[in-house]
Amino acid sequence: MLVPIYGFVRGDTIGLVALVHDYQTVAELAACLQQAASVRVAPKQRAKVYYERRLLDPKLTVAEAGIGALERVDIVPEDE
Amino acid sequence: MLYREQWLDLARKLDWEFSYVDEHDVFPDVTSGTPWLPASAWAEWDEPYRTSFTEYVANQHAKEASLFAVHESVGRAEDYARLDPSWRSAVKLHAATLPLAEFAAVIGNLRAGRFGRDSAWRTTSTLGALDELRHTQIPLLVLHDLVRTDPQLDWTHKFFHTNDWVAIAGRHLIDEMLVTADPIEFAVATHFVFETGFTNLQFVGLSAMARAVGDRMFEKMVKSIQTDEARHAQVGMPVLRTLIEHDRARAQFLVDKWFWRSWLFFSIVTGFAMDYLTPLAARTQSFKEFVGEWILDQFQRSLDELGLVRPWYWEQFLGALDIYHHMVYASAYTYRATVWFDLTLPGPDERAWLAQKYPETWPLLDPVWARITDRWRTGGPELEWYTHGTTPITFCSLCQLPLCGGTPLHNTARFEVRNGRRYPLCSEPCAAIFKNQPERYAAHKDVVMRILAGEAPANVLELVHNYFGLDQDGWGKDTARGRYPWLAETKR
Repeated sequence: MLVPIYGFVRGDTIGLVALVHDYQTVAELAACLQQAASVRVAPKQRAKVYYERRLLDPKLTVAEAGIGALERVDIVPEDE
Repeated sequence: MLYREQWLDLARKLDWEFSYVDEHDVFPDVTSGTPWLPASAWAEWDEPYRTSFTEYVANQHAKEASLFAVHESVGRAEDYARLDPSWRSAVKLHAATLPLAEFAAVIGNLRAGRFGRDSAWRTTSTLGALDELRHTQIPLLVLHDLVRTDPQLDWTHKFFHTNDWVAIAGRHLIDEMLVTADPIEFAVATHFVFETGFTNLQFVGLSAMARAVGDRMFEKMVKSIQTDEARHAQVGMPVLRTLIEHDRARAQFLVDKWFWRSWLFFSIVTGFAMDYLTPLAARTQSFKEFVGEWILDQFQRSLDELGLVRPWYWEQFLGALDIYHHMVYASAYTYRATVWFDLTLPGPDERAWLAQKYPETWPLLDPVWARITDRWRTGGPELEWYTHGTTPITFCSLCQLPLCGGTPLHNTARFEVRNGRRYPLCSEPCAAIFKNQPERYAAHKDVVMRILAGEAPANVLELVHNYFGLDQDGWGKDTARGRYPWLAETKR
């Protein structure tokens, strides 16, 4: 199932909508959002994903992480 | 024969007591506004200009003659073509957002001209409606001749008829404030907050900038409009005084709500023009300095005079003054094909100026411009889409503007759930306004919701072309198409 997710990449000026499959991993979601923001923010090799203030395991799928449609995630570089 | 001051009130104060009908039937609260008060509560209503219709016609005639003299001498296509391309974008931004919003204000003024609770109020509002009709027609006339020179100026008339995201946000604001508000809310929102608080002073700043860049036509047009605004905006204060006397909490709520809603739109339209689209050599102050000097002092004095307090979100507003329009500009620059005017890439000198004017927040924004600049260097001139986003952006369910609140380190977007639907909101004030009157706002769909509902295309190019109404000739591009001398120099 496709899930629209509101993503906020640290360093960016605007929120973006990522459309991902619920079987995709949290790491893939982070990559997708970093790529979407790459015009304004250089993508980082390693980035953390926060959902409801919780740090997510990048190996989890979107469904396993419990991220629902139109919910917010924050992408933060690993070194911050 | 009576002197002017002796007869003026005879012509302005024409209220009488109703004997055949009930006062409620003549002035129902649904059209006259709440709190509903008896006529006696409004009997002392007065405003300082006290203009008669004869004086109004004579003054307006003189202003029209003066405006058209300037139009004849410096309003031609060749005069426009001589202006700096960045400034022409500032003109296009204002030209689109101004005239049909002014036409909506005709409706608001006419409603007050019928349902305002005092005859002097109704008289002034009727003259205000004539003012706003003039403000609709002047920019349409002045800029219509230039459409052949610059097709983007077609948006002077077209803008509010489109589903462009800025137009959706504009209509959401204008429909509520000007078209549907009752005369009391209209007076507070439009006359006291929007006109007295923002646009009246904005026009002073805009005309000064237009003069500095050599745009005599725009300077004259804005000045001519401003003199009308200064007069009819005086309706706000006496309405607010009576409202405070009878319902202070509602008065404070309306001021708080409309200051925030007005501020967001004002900061984009005027913030873009002052800090990015006016050529550096012609800038005399930053947007923040302008707001501090012209808006905040005056607004604070008005609140003190009325015994009201600053809006509860004042600290957040001061924070936003430092960064909000910068967040939106950087975002809009990288989605410029979604608007009808070109945007300028700030070069090293502009970025140094912005760093000096915004020492607290610019360090958070400069990396974004460094990144965009690097992309231009890599891609080269004319490669517009290499510095352009293709993923849908997000919008606030209240202001309908992009989720650009907060800073690049912390975006203040939050969500409100109502009847199983999630509403994104860009900031705490937008969330508070939404939650206070959810029945007013909840049915509206932002652009993302329209895409998800299948009402608008998800592909950005299709969205721009088929839904926003922009074609390749008309959509926004980099002002210089990436051919900045400094970009080539720094590459070497």
